[in-house]
Amino acid sequence: MSSGGTNEGALHAPAASARVRRATLRDRFMENGSVASIAIFFIVVCVLFAVVTSSFLTTPNLLNVIRQSAPLLIVAAAMTLVITTGGIDLSVGSVLALVCALSATLLQWGVPWPLVIVAMLLLGGLVGALQGFFIAYERIPAFIVTLAGLSVIRGVALLITGGYSIPIATDSPFVVLGREWFLGVPIPAWIALATILLALLVFNHTRFGRYVTGIGANSEAVRRAGVDTRRTTLMVYVLSSAAAALAGIILAGRLGSGSSNAGQGFELEVIAAVVIGGTSLFGGRGTMIGTLLGALTVAVIGNGLILAHMSPFLTPIVTGTIILVAIWLNFRLFKNASRSR
Amino acid sequence: MTEKTTDRVRMTGISKRYGPILSLSDVSLRIAPGEVLGLVGDNGAGKSTLSKVLSGAVVPDAGTIEIDEETVRFETPADARAAHVEMVYQDLSLCDTIDVAGNLFLGREPVRRVAGVSLLDKRRMHDDAKAMLERLGIVIADTRQKVENLSGGQRQSIAIGRAASFDPKVLIMDEPTAALAVAEVEAVLELIRTVSARGVSVILITHRLQDLFLVCDRIQVMYEGRSVAERKISETSIEEVVDLIVGRKFTARSAARGDRQEGVSA
Ligand SMILES: Nc1ncnc2c1ncn2[C@@H]1O[C@H](COP(=O)(O)OP(=O)(O)OP(=O)(O)O)[C@@H](O)[C@H]1O
Ligand SMILES: [Mg+2]
Repeated sequence: MSSGGTNEGALHAPAASARVRRATLRDRFMENGSVASIAIFFIVVCVLFAVVTSSFLTTPNLLNVIRQSAPLLIVAAAMTLVITTGGIDLSVGSVLALVCALSATLLQWGVPWPLVIVAMLLLGGLVGALQGFFIAYERIPAFIVTLAGLSVIRGVALLITGGYSIPIATDSPFVVLGREWFLGVPIPAWIALATILLALLVFNHTRFGRYVTGIGANSEAVRRAGVDTRRTTLMVYVLSSAAAALAGIILAGRLGSGSSNAGQGFELEVIAAVVIGGTSLFGGRGTMIGTLLGALTVAVIGNGLILAHMSPFLTPIVTGTIILVAIWLNFRLFKNASRSR
Repeated sequence: MTEKTTDRVRMTGISKRYGPILSLSDVSLRIAPGEVLGLVGDNGAGKSTLSKVLSGAVVPDAGTIEIDEETVRFETPADARAAHVEMVYQDLSLCDTIDVAGNLFLGREPVRRVAGVSLLDKRRMHDDAKAMLERLGIVIADTRQKVENLSGGQRQSIAIGRAASFDPKVLIMDEPTAALAVAEVEAVLELIRTVSARGVSVILITHRLQDLFLVCDRIQVMYEGRSVAERKISETSIEEVVDLIVGRKFTARSAARGDRQEGVSA
């Protein structure tokens, strides 16, 4: 704030114009350093597998990668919102398993498939609302609430199935969601694409998305601005559980069975994708594009290693290494992008 | 200052306890339209807590608030905002990772409807933010800058701009000049004069006592959670205010100014 803008009798020459300049392309690049580094990483990995294997860079394989990574993409999009608020959702793998098991059971009982889908999405939302209630209104740390959720929900799935895998009739339209193609692209890929686009829109272009970032940065400031931060926080967990339910429906359809053991460690894969993408675990900084690239990188590595006839057990090793290297790159390469604290 | 018989704000018997600490004990406060009230007191006297009660950020244990003679209950800051009570918080309450325009419009972002969904109208937000800052004489190159990259004084200016720009009836400023340079302090005092001339009631909390004498009509002194004294600015002096704040006769070199007057202790 400055009073009086006259230059009459000014003691100092005006600052060189270089002091304040409009953000250049390079500034923007550096500002989005986390996205830039994962983009480079993604390209490097793709080029590597394209050179090493002959089948990686073929349309059927690429479509297959997207089809298989659809559950990851869908849940990672929602998890980006959760982590940007400064929270975490460890229960997504268990919700996915519960939905797999329960939808197979319901179909076996002869419940119509559209009803099963709607019921499963509602169930996901309800589970999220319950966890969100404890996190947002009762102020129990998200880590604890969803850790409890992880255990309880998987337990319920095990109880329902007795630990067995329940088959879904292959002529049921339910499996269409996981297996069929539309316009030359697998339906799961379409669903993942739609989810990502919707998440992008919500995250970057709505008030809700704005408050998600604000809550992660300074929740009290957002509350003082007159926003119902508790409801916003609760909604974020509703979305992540509903996304996990959608992923469960797709997975059950693709596998043609519902198993309570589905999605073991899925939550860690999702969190890894989000973090590799450049979303900060401390909240306040999230990027949906980064998450998309992060999830695709994780998926491509798994696929490429198999194509290169390497042991699939290398996947977790490589993924873990990449988490560390990607974050390290962010810190080193783009250290000056944002004010260090 | 406009002369009116009705009070804009009347807080009566406000109490608030934090665990063992009674932050506010039966405090009352009133302010007329267009009046500037200086709220002073020692560190921890309860000034911030009292003003947060009025802004809805803190819900008191007891007491009533009336705005324009109507009893209100502020359960959340949203309620107070709806009653046109705006506050510049001592800790500023900005979101570091959101840009300047986003912070100015936090909680009331302009939206446009596209195919039935409300989307942020970012263009309007940045245009309006620019105009808002210009009107207040705040120099910030780019409204797309994240707030974390601004200086302490610039951050404070943004917090002030946000509170002053949305047609407040009551404007509370909790140490708005703490991080500001000389010219910027002058600008804030000028802003206070302008808005109060428009009929806005201003509550100014500051430890810069000389500022109080430049803009305030009245001073209310708090001491250990109680409201202990009230003086018209024309009927008091810096020395008396200092004594009232510390609760005894006090010779503060930092507050001395020319010939000293006899102080009156509370
Ligand atoms: N959220 C809180 N939790 C616990 N105690 C609090 C809280 N807020 C305020 N207090 C206590 O209430 C008392 C009054 O605090 P307050 O912030 O209102 O003082 P103040 O007059 O604004 O002081 P300063 O001049 O230092 O800003 C202090 O003793 C403080 O410790
Ligand atoms: Mg204070």
